[in-house]
Amino acid sequence: MKNHWIVLACCLSLPALAETEHPLLPGYAAQARLENPAFAGFSAERGQALYVAEEQRADKTMSCTTCHTADPRKAGKTPAHRKVEPLAPVANPERFSDAQKVEKWFRRNCDDVFARECTAQEKGDFITWISGLQ
Amino acid sequence: MALALSLAGFSLADDDEHHERQGYKRPKRLAVPSDAPLVWREECAACHMLYAPGLLPADAWREQMRTLADHYGSNASLDPLQEQEILDFLVRAPAANRLPTEPSPTAGEPPRISQTRWFERKHDEVSAAKFARESVGGRFNCVACHRDAERGDFDDDRVKIPR
Repeated sequence: MKNHWIVLACCLSLPALAETEHPLLPGYAAQARLENPAFAGFSAERGQALYVAEEQRADKTMSCTTCHTADPRKAGKTPAHRKVEPLAPVANPERFSDAQKVEKWFRRNCDDVFARECTAQEKGDFITWISGLQ
Repeated sequence: MALALSLAGFSLADDDEHHERQGYKRPKRLAVPSDAPLVWREECAACHMLYAPGLLPADAWREQMRTLADHYGSNASLDPLQEQEILDFLVRAPAANRLPTEPSPTAGEPPRISQTRWFERKHDEVSAAKFARESVGGRFNCVACHRDAERGDFDDDRVKIPR
């Protein structure tokens, strides 16, 4: 009986959870509006496309998946053989909880993969996608 | 003349003892100091094993920290406060390492621990194939064979090369 109530409570709260915006998104939205007055919101689809986008870097194919694997809910490995804890908050709740860390890793990893900084639009798209993974 | 002799000594000698007479020793005090800052542990070990500061002389670490935005092909840049704290530690900690800074043979790269003469000499019996094993990873990954390398323990007796 108790289990039924837990299941019911979860079902009822799910839609509410899904609509809760990630706390870092308003800041990125404000920045994105500055970068582009025609900013029209974030897209999980574009976020996922960024994650799998491949680039040729120094004769190697690089993408976010190179270190984070094709499934960001799983642990990955750096080129220097260090374990990378899962990137998706559903598997690792610490992820995307510290704005400074998030900025540090976007700065480094966008440079490593795309040889440039990522835009606020891209960062927001990405967080929208990865924080929505179940 | 003295310089020529000492250079010849370097290239011909192959044993620790001879090198020590020439003043070129492998680094020996490698235990990680107990006051090592957490930011050093966390930042430097996020992407690779934690290298004991005694493995390189202070000037080599300065070069490492000066070039973090292109760290062997990766952007490893830090916020300036963290960078300063780590640099302060890395120039203080290897006081016992008075070796010359040996540049990497790859132009534009900071010095590599694995490209020092003492490293070459200590690993001259390890084949390139062994270093290339998936279980080893490469010359950068001391922990693959020196289990306690991150605590600065490189004792020959505890070396185990994985299959």
